[in-house]
Amino acid sequence: MKKFLPLALLLSLVVSLTACTKKETSNIKELHLTISAKVKGMDPIYANDVYSSNEVARVYEGLLEYHYLKRPYTLVPNLAEAMPIVSADGLTYTFKLRKGVMFHNDAAFDNGKGRELTAEDFVYSIKRLADPKLQALGWWLLDGKVKGLNEWRAKFADLTKVDYTEEVEGIKALDRYTIQFQLAKPFPQFLYSLAMPFTFAVAKEVVTKYGKEFINHPVGTGPFILPVFKQSNKITYTKNPAFRKKLYPSDASAEFKHLLKDAGKPLPFVDKVVVDILVESQPRWLNFQKGRIDYIVIPKDNFDSAVIPGKGITDELAKKGISLLVTPSLDVTYTAYNHDRELFRNLKLRQAMSAAYDPAQSNTLFYNNNALPAQSVVPPGIAGNISGYKNPFHGPNLELAKKLLAEAGYPEGKGLPEITYDCPSSTVSRQIGEFFKKQMAQIGVKVKVINNPWPELQKKIKNRTVMMYGIAWGADYPDAENFLQLLYGPNTSPGANGSGYNNEEFNALYKTAAVMQDSPQRTALYEKMNRIVAEQVPWVFGVHRQSFVLQHSWLKNYISADFNAGQAQYLNIDLTKKKDMTSKL
Amino acid sequence: MNLWVYTFRRLLYVIPVLLGVCLIIYLLFNVVAGDPTHILLGKHATAKQMAELRHELGLDRHWFMQYLDLVKSAFTFDFGRSWSTKQLISSMISEGAIPSLTLTVPGFFISTICAVSLSLLVSFYRGGLFDKFTILICISLMSIPSLAYILFGQYFFAYKLGMFEISGYDFGFPHFIPYIQLPVLIWITLTIGPDLRFYRTVVLDEVYQDYVRTARAKGLGEKLILFKHVLKNAMIPIVTYVVIQIPFLILGALLIESFFGIPGLGGITLNAINSSDFPVIRAMTILSAVAYIIFGVITDILYTVVDPRVRLN
Repeated sequence: MKKFLPLALLLSLVVSLTACTKKETSNIKELHLTISAKVKGMDPIYANDVYSSNEVARVYEGLLEYHYLKRPYTLVPNLAEAMPIVSADGLTYTFKLRKGVMFHNDAAFDNGKGRELTAEDFVYSIKRLADPKLQALGWWLLDGKVKGLNEWRAKFADLTKVDYTEEVEGIKALDRYTIQFQLAKPFPQFLYSLAMPFTFAVAKEVVTKYGKEFINHPVGTGPFILPVFKQSNKITYTKNPAFRKKLYPSDASAEFKHLLKDAGKPLPFVDKVVVDILVESQPRWLNFQKGRIDYIVIPKDNFDSAVIPGKGITDELAKKGISLLVTPSLDVTYTAYNHDRELFRNLKLRQAMSAAYDPAQSNTLFYNNNALPAQSVVPPGIAGNISGYKNPFHGPNLELAKKLLAEAGYPEGKGLPEITYDCPSSTVSRQIGEFFKKQMAQIGVKVKVINNPWPELQKKIKNRTVMMYGIAWGADYPDAENFLQLLYGPNTSPGANGSGYNNEEFNALYKTAAVMQDSPQRTALYEKMNRIVAEQVPWVFGVHRQSFVLQHSWLKNYISADFNAGQAQYLNIDLTKKKDMTSKL
Repeated sequence: MNLWVYTFRRLLYVIPVLLGVCLIIYLLFNVVAGDPTHILLGKHATAKQMAELRHELGLDRHWFMQYLDLVKSAFTFDFGRSWSTKQLISSMISEGAIPSLTLTVPGFFISTICAVSLSLLVSFYRGGLFDKFTILICISLMSIPSLAYILFGQYFFAYKLGMFEISGYDFGFPHFIPYIQLPVLIWITLTIGPDLRFYRTVVLDEVYQDYVRTARAKGLGEKLILFKHVLKNAMIPIVTYVVIQIPFLILGALLIESFFGIPGLGGITLNAINSSDFPVIRAMTILSAVAYIIFGVITDILYTVVDPRVRLN
């Protein structure tokens, strides 16, 4: 028996240590979120994916933000005191900054105490975005837009050091609290740029102190603090005790009036934000069911066990106090033709293939029947989408498809070469490709599906070696221009126009609309462009996806949004309800 | 030959191997894979910015200079920063290796000890019901895909029965223990089948040798024969099999880590390939090559320990 004693001791030690580490329930408000990809880092200028930009926006802030409770999306001042004064020619934007906004405490500042944010911080932050040595991933946002900024960037491209003291005409701190931007040409979407994390304010001292490690030392003015970032499975933020007096909004669009209970209360509401990074959907789903995550985008594989089509969530979930939010996403999926190919300059062929494709069936197979079939490029929810419009070449209309194919010169597909369809190598993308192949076979069009690792697909698209490819686009900002630019001729790949579509009429309209401020006239132009592409079928249009989110009863003020940077500050937790409900889960 | 001389001579092989590995990586990345700037710049990449980025990353320099850089990093172990995340690669590896090791080391040890002991036991009862039953269990365990164990284990034991944490990881001892219990059990379940079958074959190979027959003829007990003589003689293949697995323990277990939210190195190479992150691919390939050589030498040295007849040459 004696020889088993050490083993028994070891086991009891492990068990007791395990017991010691069990978490205790506490009275502090913790918000538990989950995301499905690793966060790259916490430097705003590299935050080009939705995960990184949302994390960056918990710590850093910009001049503007989207009103939390208004749709369509409306810009409101954040670090700016008010909306800017815009010159009559639309080229000069002057902002007054809020006074008394403090950076988080950090060793980079004198005595370790955060200092006040000034206009110079924005000048510095925007210059960082343009710094040729840093190769910011958000540079596209201001490329060619701000007076003198491209020249500044070009000047230092081949020098060893970039001189931030050299003035740029288009970005000036007029005084401690006034910043002025001068644009090189009218760019009405400029203000959206200032609500994107790329342009959020960083402090020069912090960047200088940490150098290349700045990416792991986020020091902003935002509602939450993260002393050190580690590329791990969990990120824990704490409430910024010195956060300025920012209040929960007191007005809301009709659909969000019920979220006004916290109106006028100081933000943020929660003491901690814990972000769990879980790549796989099963642990996300199980953790949500156990109440360890406050809300979740329903994983595709769990959709059927969570939602009854046309009715809402299952009784089992409803009993747990879980509720469902369905929100259209500002995106579009599509299968693009490569317009470099003579074959696809044949309009009738493009129309025939579109008419043969059944987006409704694709919706059932791949999107749990919860997406909206796309009639054209601009999604519902932004100006330019034509409500109720039906694309005349929208499938399935096999009769029309066959007729158009014959008119194109390929009756029943005779004489038509095999068409290759390139897609990413994920299972769902492959299945979508096979579905496309089957659909085309119905009219005699032969399609070969080629799976590619993501980098390879990107390379093929940029090098224009594909024939057709399946892909999707999500909005950077809520303006139809962000979608229409995908079909603007001069943006041809390696720009955003991967298909290389080039239509003179469309290009002329785009050029006119691109410099117009938001107005009914501009919306009319957007709609006209939207109609042109619907009929010209530069792509086979897929769907606009919808997000299906489940939330627990204790989570308050949650809204599913495309642009949810900074959202955590508005969310609240009902601790009594949480204690009550989690015991039942 | 002196142990130190032998070790030094074997370690010298690192030089030509690394030069070759560098050449292969260079060719694969620069000739076959093409331009990484498409991926690094994302959906808004323009030709101009791609050219600028190529310049900043030094991809527009002469091919020989690029190869030299590669060789330099291989010998200095200074791999720089990831292109994709801008993180220091040495930190990425050191921070990821700990969670991976906390999962794989206990799993590896328990599984190896169990498999070796069981293999001796089933050899003792070779051909009998216990042997057949164990082999049947092994084959059944091996026939089920690893994903099934993970999905079932996580759902049933962690979610339904609440015996383990569903997912997550806390750094530091003993905080990580609750999070690795189920992953370690799954690791053992996954590896014990093939391990046991391998060790059983090795032991059975020995059991039929002449010296065993002689020992039996001399009247030695079966236990003594197995544990003293057979095990000793079976050590060479066992050591080879065990030691060569050690460097790969650092790389973790991709699926288990991914499902249990363990921030290990399981996906590091795969993620790097998907994002054209050349410096990370380079670092992982070079480190794997070096580890392979070093552990090869360790295996050789261990041979002399477990079998004095072996001479280093």
